[in-house]
Amino acid sequence: MSDYSQKASVRFENVEKSFGTVQVLKNFELEVEPGEFVVLLGASGSGKTTALRILSGLETPSAGRVFIEGQDVTNMLPKYRNISMVFQSYALYPHKTVAENIGFPLKMRKLPKQDIESATIDAAKQVQLDGLLERYPRELSGGQRQRVALARAIIRRPSVFLMDEPLSNLDAKLRGHMRAELKHMQQSMGITTIYVTHDQIEAMTLAHRVAILEKGVLQQLATPAQIYNDPENLFVAQFIGSPPMNVVHGRLEESEFVTQGVRIHTQVQGQIESAVMGIRPEDCAVAPPSEGTLIGRIYTNELIGDHTLVTVDWGGDQISVKASKDFTGQQGDEIGLVIPSDRLFVFDKSTGARVR
Amino acid sequence: MHDTHYRFEKSGQTLMQRLFEAPAAGKMSPASKVVAYTLLIVWSTIVLFPIYWVVITSFKDPAAVNQGPFYIPFVDFQPTLDAWRTQFTEDPHCNIPAIGRQFGLLAYNSVAFVLSPFFSITPMEPQICKIYLAFTNSVVISVFSTFLCVVVGSMAAYALARIQYAPKFGNIMMFVLLLIGVIYVTTYFKVAWWASSAVALSMFFFLVRALGRHYKMTLKNGDILFWIISQRILPPIVVVIPIYVMFQAVKLLDTHLALILLYAVANMPIVVWLMHDFFANLPIELEESAQLDGASRIGIFREIVMPLTRPGLAATTLLILVLSWNEYLFAVFLATVKVQTMPIMVAAKNTGEKGIFWWEMCALIVVMIIPVIVMAILLTRFISKGVLLGAVKG
Repeated sequence: MSDYSQKASVRFENVEKSFGTVQVLKNFELEVEPGEFVVLLGASGSGKTTALRILSGLETPSAGRVFIEGQDVTNMLPKYRNISMVFQSYALYPHKTVAENIGFPLKMRKLPKQDIESATIDAAKQVQLDGLLERYPRELSGGQRQRVALARAIIRRPSVFLMDEPLSNLDAKLRGHMRAELKHMQQSMGITTIYVTHDQIEAMTLAHRVAILEKGVLQQLATPAQIYNDPENLFVAQFIGSPPMNVVHGRLEESEFVTQGVRIHTQVQGQIESAVMGIRPEDCAVAPPSEGTLIGRIYTNELIGDHTLVTVDWGGDQISVKASKDFTGQQGDEIGLVIPSDRLFVFDKSTGARVR
Repeated sequence: MHDTHYRFEKSGQTLMQRLFEAPAAGKMSPASKVVAYTLLIVWSTIVLFPIYWVVITSFKDPAAVNQGPFYIPFVDFQPTLDAWRTQFTEDPHCNIPAIGRQFGLLAYNSVAFVLSPFFSITPMEPQICKIYLAFTNSVVISVFSTFLCVVVGSMAAYALARIQYAPKFGNIMMFVLLLIGVIYVTTYFKVAWWASSAVALSMFFFLVRALGRHYKMTLKNGDILFWIISQRILPPIVVVIPIYVMFQAVKLLDTHLALILLYAVANMPIVVWLMHDFFANLPIELEESAQLDGASRIGIFREIVMPLTRPGLAATTLLILVLSWNEYLFAVFLATVKVQTMPIMVAAKNTGEKGIFWWEMCALIVVMIIPVIVMAILLTRFISKGVLLGAVKG
């Protein structure tokens, strides 16, 4: 089953979509390589599901074009696009058995019965559903239903595989397990996959590349590592990471970020009256007050297990720092923070753009 | 009783819950069992007694009916087949060839009706005994009108559940005004109706193209649904005379077609409302998923929508069937001789000067309720709960 020869590329070209007066997708551009796993990441209402539905053909864009394998499919009916989709709710047909559910796409293609049967058994094996083929969806657990939906999607060897928050209805433990299985399956079959989620862990672990959307605008399209280490703008910087990136407001003078009378050396040049400095909690370090770049007081500290999360109150701004698990500071203690200039991001507050 | 009382107290139920939420029958104390079963038996008797009464009355002679309430055959009164005999066997036309001829007549007259615009074919006159005629009329009219009504009505309901319509209010007003214009010129200026309609229709399309986009106010699906149900607000007696005049104008009085169309239209709002609810409750993802799986519109309807709404469809069909089977008012006006239905036959047993022939009336009623019971038993097999379980989410 691993010979998915028909990997397809996908391209969105200036796609726009409005529902009434609400514009949910603005000038959306995305190019997906054959066999690539791209995750569309964003909060609810960011337009990620709309983009997926436009690709599937369930919605038509208000403007722009969509290409699959170089072919313009903007106005093509969903059934001719050779894509399959796993819905958030799985959308299993409740009156059909597991076998009938899985075989449905082939039945609609009028394949001979024996072929459907053998393909159904193959697909069911691939998602470890053999033995449940005669059951009805109502007799299955959440994880099993999820597998039926997956099997139904892979049985006809689609050129593009779409998933709309497929794991969000599972409990946390099962979600982690299915995530690993999904990744393994996608790697071994190599189908071009577009995956929509609001969960940054899913995005970071699954994707070859992540596309972050906000209010219908693509913010950044890059590998998970680039997204994390080299965010394009303030939104991306704050969206990714747990706990999120610390931000401090101030101004940029030459190569120094000035705030609350402290000058912090940066590696960027510029003169911005209203700027934002960002630093990830694991990139700064705690130090004795005398050695810190800046000095604050411990607001609270939480032992996470492998590290202690120290929240430092610095003149009203709160800065989280990942400290060693042996950290013993008390609430209210004075503490210094070391901020390495090479791990520091500066953003223009008015546009949110990264200053490089 | 003390035990159950204690158990209820423990589970912390309120008084109302204790009164109306019975525990399982097996767990009830003997005393409550007696009470429960007594209530059930009494209620069943109340429900079933009228049917029993109709059945035994059909086997009574006039004396047994008039001399007082007699309840038990062979004890209170001597049953007789007189009523059944006068209805069925004493009629010279009531034999097997006559029934065969009746079916021939139905087929012949249907073909004659279809071809009537092109050839003049005299319809066959029925000679069959009245009861068979009425029964076949009732079957034909209620089955065809129910079929038409349910098919058209559920398609309308499906469309209203799945497609967002936004007709411009101005366009609808233009249509109404043009319609009034057509009626006016046809009535007072003797313009041929087809000519005025054609002109009005072309004017309508022209005006919609020219002015339509300037109108702002639109109707939503909810408004359309309300408009459909509002058609049932008028009591039928108010509209029966205009309907009579219209059917007279198109020469359809006393035909099957008139009643089939009329019943289908009259019951359409019920079908649309009931089915709309069933379709709206169907998760749209199922249809979208089927679309992506390569199903056509028809395929989706046949494979996904129909099986999942079958219980609703069965219930609706049964309801409409009973409504048109029992319909009296329209039938008494529009079906004067040839297409008399069973309710009219039943009502005709109230002869006025000779009083009511209860025994014959009851024989007819027995004949009338048997098909309904059979249909109900057949259709309840489809009316099962929980078909949508497991469709979406966990």
